[in-house]
Amino acid sequence: MFVVFTKESWLFPVIQSVHLIGLTILVGTIAIVDLHVLGFGIRRPSISTDLKSWTSAGLITMAITGPLLFWSDWQRYVHNPAFLAKMVLLAIAVLTHFAVRRKPSQHTRLAAVLSLLLWISVVLAGRAIADFDIRVV
Amino acid sequence: MALSRAISESTWGYPAIGALHVLAIALFGGAVLISNFSTVQDALQLRKWKWFFFVVVMLTGILLFASNAVRYYDSVCFRAKLILLVLAAVNVLFFSRSRLRAWVSAALLATAIFASRGIAFF
Repeated sequence: MFVVFTKESWLFPVIQSVHLIGLTILVGTIAIVDLHVLGFGIRRPSISTDLKSWTSAGLITMAITGPLLFWSDWQRYVHNPAFLAKMVLLAIAVLTHFAVRRKPSQHTRLAAVLSLLLWISVVLAGRAIADFDIRVV
Repeated sequence: MALSRAISESTWGYPAIGALHVLAIALFGGAVLISNFSTVQDALQLRKWKWFFFVVVMLTGILLFASNAVRYYDSVCFRAKLILLVLAAVNVLFFSRSRLRAWVSAALLATAIFASRGIAFF
């Protein structure tokens, strides 16, 4: 497989930083919309549509940097329980996100709570990848 | 000192606080970004949340620092991160709301994230 860079390269922490910036934009804006649905924070209904482009920008950043980080050492990630958990949670979170986005009437309080819990779990599992990382020498 | 030893010696202490730190950064960063780029009214309505997330970021950050204070103090990236965060605070405290201030804030916080990752790698 074509390897762009390895885990030892200076590119790894750089791309990881971009991944974290994307995460902030993605999860930060999703949380604001979910809190809005629950009646907290920003009150005006137009906030959901106003933040769409921010959320998309965050999602695109993640969709590019995530696979790059994965490819840098994929054999190590496929056996990492935190990584596997993150992927499952991420799939459910993204599906929930787009299901709700297509039909705003489905963005109920329940959907908002579910979305918050899912994205929080994705972030926590993502960070845990480093803690479950067993280096095979 | 007992606290720092409790964190560094426990299996779950550092990972749990570290994960909470990253989560709070995402929520705080998002709130700051939207507060700066959106309307004054939006910013006022987000204010409480922004401060809540800020407190969580700071508390978890201080705990992580305490777990290995000497190592962090010696790290160039850690020092750079602190300077960047002070600059980010100066930017929002001493300048009035503007598009430029919003961009400077975003750039400083993004650079602080680069410095943070650097702590682990360099």
